[in-house]
Amino acid sequence: MKLDRRKFLKIGAAAGGAAVCSVATPARARDEREPDPNWYGMLNDSTRCIGCKACQVACKTENKLPTESTIGDQKVFGDAIYDSPRELSEHTYTLIKMHQDAATQETTFVKQQCMHCVDPACQSACIVGALKKQPNGAVKYDSDLCMGCRYCMVACPFSVPQFEWQRAIPSIKKCTLCSETRLKKGEPTACAIACPAEAIVFGKRTDLLKLARNRIEAEPQRYLDHIYGEKEVGGTNVLYLTKPQVAFAGLGLPDFNYKAVSGLTESIQHRIFQYFIPPIAVYSILGGIMAYNQRRKNAAGKLGGDDEY
Amino acid sequence: MSIKAAPLHQKFITPNFWVLIFFMVSGAGFAYFRFFEGFGSVTNLNKAYPFGVWIAFDVACGVALAAGGFTTAAIVEIFGREKYHALVRPAILTAFIGYFLVGLAVFFDLGKYYNIWHALVYWNGTSVLFEVAWCVMLYLTVLGIENIPNVVEQFSGKVNLPGPLAAFNGLGNWVLGKADWFTRKTMAFFVIAGVVLSFGHQSSLGTMMLIAPYKLHDLWYTPMSPLLFLTSAVSVGIPMVIFEGTLASKFFGRKPETELLGSFAKYVPLLLGTYLLLRFLDLAYRGVLAQAFDGSVAGYSFLVEISLFVIPYFALKSKKVRHDSTKLFLCALSVICAVVLNRFNVFLIGMDMGPNWDYFPSVGEFAVTFAFLALGVMMYKFAVNYLPILEEEH
Repeated sequence: MKLDRRKFLKIGAAAGGAAVCSVATPARARDEREPDPNWYGMLNDSTRCIGCKACQVACKTENKLPTESTIGDQKVFGDAIYDSPRELSEHTYTLIKMHQDAATQETTFVKQQCMHCVDPACQSACIVGALKKQPNGAVKYDSDLCMGCRYCMVACPFSVPQFEWQRAIPSIKKCTLCSETRLKKGEPTACAIACPAEAIVFGKRTDLLKLARNRIEAEPQRYLDHIYGEKEVGGTNVLYLTKPQVAFAGLGLPDFNYKAVSGLTESIQHRIFQYFIPPIAVYSILGGIMAYNQRRKNAAGKLGGDDEY
Repeated sequence: MSIKAAPLHQKFITPNFWVLIFFMVSGAGFAYFRFFEGFGSVTNLNKAYPFGVWIAFDVACGVALAAGGFTTAAIVEIFGREKYHALVRPAILTAFIGYFLVGLAVFFDLGKYYNIWHALVYWNGTSVLFEVAWCVMLYLTVLGIENIPNVVEQFSGKVNLPGPLAAFNGLGNWVLGKADWFTRKTMAFFVIAGVVLSFGHQSSLGTMMLIAPYKLHDLWYTPMSPLLFLTSAVSVGIPMVIFEGTLASKFFGRKPETELLGSFAKYVPLLLGTYLLLRFLDLAYRGVLAQAFDGSVAGYSFLVEISLFVIPYFALKSKKVRHDSTKLFLCALSVICAVVLNRFNVFLIGMDMGPNWDYFPSVGEFAVTFAFLALGVMMYKFAVNYLPILEEEH
């Protein structure tokens, strides 16, 4: 090391001070992503859903997915189960389930699929950027980029991404918003086309918000005055309406707060590596200590052996 | 301090050797199904538990327990506590083996393992994993460089390859000479780099699960998590050196280094105390401590974890405990178990990904994990036998 100790320590102290300042700056929240007016999405009106599962069939057909059987479940559960299959899986991108509100006993059907978040946690989490928000609003998965680490499954607050557990070379599977197969041709999603009850409406997110608000205003006794997905986890492109007697939480749509879930991890990462100042500062401080101890050792003319606490 | 490290040159193929081979072969058997029949055929992983024991133990605990390398290097080389010089080489060696196994475990756990190099090419700076991957990779390289002097010392100028390979003896000596020159010039740089890189990914592993605020239990979901992961890794460094040192003397029939290890252990209460102070301040500030007593599995798991941290903290304050080889070993083991349980709590036990699903590792997952451990022990056994790692008895 060519620097003398004094200089070295000085640089170290300066860099260290800068690092402390950069870490100590008040938790500047990461910029909130604004939804793009050109993004497409869907409005799922659970008050209109009749539980016919036509959307599920259309989705399987569109994505060439195999059927899943729930035969035998009666033995396991004691009761025949209406939901079939019972959960999203690598073969089921969308699912109609029947929910009963615990408090009011009111039942309703609700559709489940990828929410195509405004600020997707999976996109933030993916180590190689295999999950990306597209200009049309869909969150697209690229199986050629993916390493199969499954961090997206951990990150997604709705636990949407599914993994092919039974395949030697597995991929992540989830709803595509029909981005490549239909949106490119100017067609709406397969599930929305199949719905006979107008419970699924395809359109631009901004238009869907207006439509949802109009529906609530027109029939206030029919709807809970809240559009799920307008703000939750930073907003989603798939929006939900529910009956006043059935809370969203009962539909598998928890009361998430309005911040994107990736805000904390991203701001921590950002602050630790801001212009590489903190790592360089730590490096300089340690280097200074090392140089100081080397010098002292050389001055003493012998190999250490000092043993103070 | 003039005592030099030397290879053990003991009989290599002992009964223990065959035990290790047994574990490695059984793990390899299950690995076949993992790679050719899919995860479903070997593991109990499911949609609610995409991360299993391979991530929680092999990766998260593996990284934490390899902290002996950078903590010992920092104490001896940076803070100049030359007295513990004898502990540096084994610590750096085990860290290298540890990180090698972490890399291997990641390879096993990746669905598309052949895309592992994508982490180098396709960058996503917002991903915590991206940072972890880079730091682990760079640190493994640094550890490799830090281990070069052991090879140089043993073989430089003495390369003697068998049969027709003897033609390469000159080249081998030349390479070792260059390596020697290079490491002598740059070792200080790499020692510090190793510590900085360790700080980076030890803390980032703590950031990882913060992306799931609605899944990770409140007892562990804290913005302080990266700092807690870092300080707990620093605290477990010395206990790991004690643990490995004690076992090595036992299995290689050497005199126990109780005095040196006991003296080294005096730093543990300081480091562990810092960690526990931060931990309790965080728990108190967020006001979540009551949840530890709600009778849930997570609550009990938390209490066990904290006890395993607190007991050795107080015990190791006593000089009598530190210089009693059995008690010292048990204290070290307690800290190690505490850190292991902490990582399990964050990555598995404290994670609630939804109802209807449970996870307990399958036989295959255990077998592969044990195979990794056996491979690590085998590598250590091999290295200390043929390279100057352990110092002559004092």
